[in-house]
Amino acid sequence: MPSPALTIEQLRVDFPGVVAVNDLSLTVETGDVCGLIGPNGAGKTTTMRAVSGLQECTHGVVRVDGHELTREPEELKRRLGFMPDFCPVYDQLTATEFLDHFARAYNVPDRTKRIEHCLELTWLTEKRAALCEELSRGMKQRLVLAKTLLSDPQVLLLDEPASGLDPLGRIELRKLMLQLREIGKTVLISSHILTELSGFCNKAAIMERGRLVMAGTIAELGQKLGRRQLSVKWRNADDLALQILKRERVKNLEANAQGASFEFEGNPDALDGLLKTLVVEGVRVTEWRDNTDDLEQIFLQSGARELM
Amino acid sequence: MSLADNPIFLTQKRLIHRAGVLAAVLIAALVGLSLLSGLIAYLAAPQDFDFRSSREAGKLFYGWVIGVEVLVLIIGGFAKISRVLADDRKAGLWESNRLTPLKPEEIVTGYWLGAALREFYMGLVLAGIGLVMVLLAKLPVTLWLGTQALIIGAALFFGLLALLAGMAVQRPQSGLILLLPLIFLQMFSFVFPRYTIINFLLPIYGIGNLFSAGQHPDSDWSTWPQLFGMPVPPIALSLGIQLVIGIFFWRAAVRKTANPFQPLLLRWEAIAIFSLLVAIQQALVWSIWHGEFGNRLDAQAPRTEAIGAPMLAIVHGGTILIGVLILAFASPMPERVRVEALRTGRGNLQLAFSRSAVWLAFALSGVAAVVSASQFTFSFKAHGTAWALAAANLLIFFLMFSLLLEFCRLRFQRRAVGFVALWLFVLCLLPFVLAGVFSNEGFAKLSFLAPGVIALAGTEIDDLNYLTASTVAQLAVVVLLFLAWQRQWKLLFAPSTTVLPAK
Repeated sequence: MPSPALTIEQLRVDFPGVVAVNDLSLTVETGDVCGLIGPNGAGKTTTMRAVSGLQECTHGVVRVDGHELTREPEELKRRLGFMPDFCPVYDQLTATEFLDHFARAYNVPDRTKRIEHCLELTWLTEKRAALCEELSRGMKQRLVLAKTLLSDPQVLLLDEPASGLDPLGRIELRKLMLQLREIGKTVLISSHILTELSGFCNKAAIMERGRLVMAGTIAELGQKLGRRQLSVKWRNADDLALQILKRERVKNLEANAQGASFEFEGNPDALDGLLKTLVVEGVRVTEWRDNTDDLEQIFLQSGARELM
Repeated sequence: MSLADNPIFLTQKRLIHRAGVLAAVLIAALVGLSLLSGLIAYLAAPQDFDFRSSREAGKLFYGWVIGVEVLVLIIGGFAKISRVLADDRKAGLWESNRLTPLKPEEIVTGYWLGAALREFYMGLVLAGIGLVMVLLAKLPVTLWLGTQALIIGAALFFGLLALLAGMAVQRPQSGLILLLPLIFLQMFSFVFPRYTIINFLLPIYGIGNLFSAGQHPDSDWSTWPQLFGMPVPPIALSLGIQLVIGIFFWRAAVRKTANPFQPLLLRWEAIAIFSLLVAIQQALVWSIWHGEFGNRLDAQAPRTEAIGAPMLAIVHGGTILIGVLILAFASPMPERVRVEALRTGRGNLQLAFSRSAVWLAFALSGVAAVVSASQFTFSFKAHGTAWALAAANLLIFFLMFSLLLEFCRLRFQRRAVGFVALWLFVLCLLPFVLAGVFSNEGFAKLSFLAPGVIALAGTEIDDLNYLTASTVAQLAVVVLLFLAWQRQWKLLFAPSTTVLPAK
């Protein structure tokens, strides 16, 4: 059985007077795009830095493709790409020169071609000759992302990659993430803006105060929370529909003339039964939506929001 | 990987060329050519100048070129390398480079040889003009070769020191602070050029000796230095010291690049560097007394009457300064010891002591005491008390400093430096201030610096008794500091500081 792409076991990082990461264990399988979610100060960046070897751990084990960080740091450097949450660039180099510096450092074959490809992936082709200091923050962010992709690492650690990106940039980032997911890259991506991660993460890990609150696929997390968030829309049947919903085991019901949203604690069969009852008893259902896969809902229900 | 393929070197080169090198090179050329034109003017009309020969004129003009070259390559190179590294650390580029598969040696080499390329170009121009001067003035080419070898050796040595400064300091300009002790020590070294190690760490004596070739043998600069009475070529001594200590600096830079969480100096390296510096310094002054300190001065050695009395006291002061610098670098950050305690599960005083610089203080003072005993080999019976006082003074000073530094780091954290400076002022300098204000030298003898310095300056027996009492009082202060130090470590290891904040 192949090793998971990234394994973190009982990771602990201490700072003066505070435990920044405490007993964190997380496994990310090959091809997963895992969102590391948590409020500011939850320990996401420290976790990323500890995994990449930039932050000394008090204890714990980090493995990438079965290679342990402390024993084989050189193997890790080849397999891991880390993009920090700020933009370390040489201001007086052009975008191409900046990438050339790292392409040489990683000994990338066919450098020129690879640099062009990464510039294209990050929508910076037109800025290839611009000095880094002339780039906007969002562009610098994309350039650092291009640098991270240069060596074609198996595992990508992206710390708040969307910060500083304009709305178009965020849409493009989402496309890029989906592209990376398609070609089988493993990505651990952190953010405290949940909508950024929705749409391309198939897994999520929720952190708060240095601890992992919960982790798993989006569906698993929804199930772990036990309650499903649902919304329904109907036409000309508000009273009847409301009576049915109240009769069933729904909670936090919020209704208006066009529909309602509510929480449902039953299993999937019971949920199917509820929809069937509504239809059979004559409610003209125009929309039936399970919001459980929404990262924001999961995050809010997990309780990891005290610092928000 | 060759230098031409080293991405760090190539990028530094790119950055320097983009910022412009022509103006700097032209400035160096203008300075050099101005001096060259002075020499040519003399050669064309010697009667208009006061020089006795073309050689004398050549030496003067070439000497100025050397001075500018030293300023550009050594001081300018040091400032540039430490600033580039500190800037890159601040910008996160140092970490980005460390995450690549580049070997630590390649990263260090790239910064070491690449960051000060502009200064190197300027030095190259000046060296070329210097060669022309040497040839025109019919000076021996060995003068040019020797001086250039010394300057390049020193530039490489201080380049390595600059790397360590860039890795250690938080602010880009702070690296230059490391040069201050050297400048301070340099003030004394011109008075006794052949006897102070600083003139060999910097290429000053080697250059002076090359320029003094053929002068009167009693000149301060014309003879070779002696190590325990054995003459050694000054160029070899300078390059040898720089090479050996440079190897330690290189190891430290590579280790810190591979793993920035390690201390800058390993314990044995700190002891080795200190031993080397102290042993060479004591060896250099050995020829003044030939192991009979207090009894006689070597009448053959130039100006021994003038330098004999205070020399060992000055060496003692220099030893304290070097020891304090090494202890400051070797002293651990309390948080690192706490993390180690958490990792190993043994947060106790034994761990604190094993990681602390306190035991290093014992080792350094032991080394210094043994080496300085060489000056008393044949006069120990008569003057052993002075040696014992100096040795005790070193131990007490080193213990006081390491305990004070660690206590302040534990107690005051980020404000530690200010409190260390305050207490050092109170314990070492305030007694001198009070002695001046009240015109009573008794106050000065209370200083932690006083017992060793006064004892080695050739003092009376009554004074030695007073100094012994003063040493005992200082030991009591060290014991109090030890108790406070112990208490702070216990507080650091107390479980309450390791508990996760309540959810």
